[in-house]
Amino acid sequence: MRFTTLIAKNVLHRPVRTALTALGLAIAISAVIVLVGISWNFERGFLAIYRSKGIDLILVRAGSTNQLSSSLDEGIETRLRKLDGVADVAPTLVDTVAFEDKNLAAVLVDGWRGGSLLFRGVRILEGRMLDPRDRDAILLGRILSLNLGAHSGEKLDVAGRTFQVVGVFESDSLFENGALIMPIETLQTMMGRENQVTGFVIKARSAETRDLDALRKRVEQAFPGTAASPARDYVTGDTQIRLSRAMAGTTALVAFFLGGVGMLNTMLMAIFERTRELGLLRAVGWRRRRVILLVLGESFALALVGSLLGCLLAVIGLRVLTLFPTAAGFIDPNLPPEVMPLALLMGVGLSLLGGTYPAIRAASLDPIQALRHE
Amino acid sequence: MSDAPAARPPLLEANGLAKFYADGNVQALRGVSIAVAPGEFLAITGPSGCGKSTLLHLLGGLDRPTEGEVRFRNQPLVGLDLDRYRAREVGFVFQSFHLLPTLSALENVQIPMFEGPIPRSQREPLASELLAEVGLSTRIRHRPAQLSIGERQRVAVARALANSPSLLLADEPTGNLDSKSQDEIIALLARLRGERGLTMVIVTHSPEVARAADRRFALKDGLAVDVSS
Repeated sequence: MRFTTLIAKNVLHRPVRTALTALGLAIAISAVIVLVGISWNFERGFLAIYRSKGIDLILVRAGSTNQLSSSLDEGIETRLRKLDGVADVAPTLVDTVAFEDKNLAAVLVDGWRGGSLLFRGVRILEGRMLDPRDRDAILLGRILSLNLGAHSGEKLDVAGRTFQVVGVFESDSLFENGALIMPIETLQTMMGRENQVTGFVIKARSAETRDLDALRKRVEQAFPGTAASPARDYVTGDTQIRLSRAMAGTTALVAFFLGGVGMLNTMLMAIFERTRELGLLRAVGWRRRRVILLVLGESFALALVGSLLGCLLAVIGLRVLTLFPTAAGFIDPNLPPEVMPLALLMGVGLSLLGGTYPAIRAASLDPIQALRHE
Repeated sequence: MSDAPAARPPLLEANGLAKFYADGNVQALRGVSIAVAPGEFLAITGPSGCGKSTLLHLLGGLDRPTEGEVRFRNQPLVGLDLDRYRAREVGFVFQSFHLLPTLSALENVQIPMFEGPIPRSQREPLASELLAEVGLSTRIRHRPAQLSIGERQRVAVARALANSPSLLLADEPTGNLDSKSQDEIIALLARLRGERGLTMVIVTHSPEVARAADRRFALKDGLAVDVSS
């Protein structure tokens, strides 16, 4: 008989309790990996916007922690274009609108200039691209089009103004697929922010780190009160990204400890029920470390089943979540592959958290007392 | 008080063993000395609560004496690795069998082998041989709940022999058995002793078991009161 056979038999001895414990662990693990996965996808989605368009620097008002809170004068674009090392520049204005009848609380609205570099990576699925002469025209992202049931050629009310849907597009970024794009001038009028933009995206002539750093300094010197950041730094510093990361981390920690307490309870109960058996093992010469390995092995086996089940639940749960229109535009239904090892790591952590104390307690049993246990 | 000196150098020897419990208020043993020769069958008898099981636990390295010492092959137990001593030199048989309910008879017999010298590949065949030796060759895949009381004790005896110990310690091995099963276990132990040259120390209330022994060592209130051949 192998040692692992003994572990498996002990775990399977109480199938209902084992199944319920594994399910509890699976729920905790799936909650963690879904939240962490959403958070990672959130960050990647933002980064994908800039990467797909070849954007090197993002210029916003200094001190603003996200695009929605930034405001810059549109007029600096001309001087910005003339700076040494700048290949292209595009202004952007960002806002959110609600489509309450469709249960969509915050849809991203991008105000872009027709033909600007921001349209790179945007593929038209229906209709046409925005034209620089368009005013009351909008493009709908693929997911938003599905959620609204609106298509190219139809009229659509956006924040009390009627627009012509001229096209439906798809992009590499999930956020853009859930957003709508309108001419920047139109959005400025709607928001009452004439000649104001939330920021500029800059394509540099050289993407070398050293050159980008020099360009960043030149931009900030030329326009005091602004902050130019490489795309990755900008994304990781974004308040919403940081908030989502913090929320995911905190919830994950709570779920982890809840899972650990569940595991601890199960293992302690198992040890208590098997006091005489453990006393017998010690009586026939089993060393303390072998008893510890036995109990830890059982908690690890439970955690492994919980981890695998948790991964499955997470994959299914995330897909179910994206069936809801509110989530579909923001949540990628695919978990990043890196979260799967995280689930296994969490399983190991849970097995240690829930198994260590019972294992030490089991190994410390006095064999004579344990054999007399009723 | 001590027993008569053994003719051969003792395998197991206890000198002045005392054991106090509950902060020294309860004295289970009061200076007991005993010597057991290799191959000898010693029965420890006496009324309930006289310290028989305590003496057996001290001899088997399951507990430590408050006073006195136990020597195995002339080595004091305090200087030995007690886990190793229990795993390789001692086989235990208990009144309540203490078989693991999730395991088959074959698997139960292999439990002590995890700490013994037997390579993993040989454990199952050896366990099978041991079960055949105790007359259970057709019951090796049965779990304890599927075996009769007498069969369970046979499995426990086979388990005690798993690492080929030199010493078999049994605590009321027939205490839970009917008279037929008791006779079978007594006969089995006697046969195994003869075949394997085992040294046996058995705590018992049973006159039949005591009669089968080479010597009887009687305890009363923690003291040795009678040693008879």
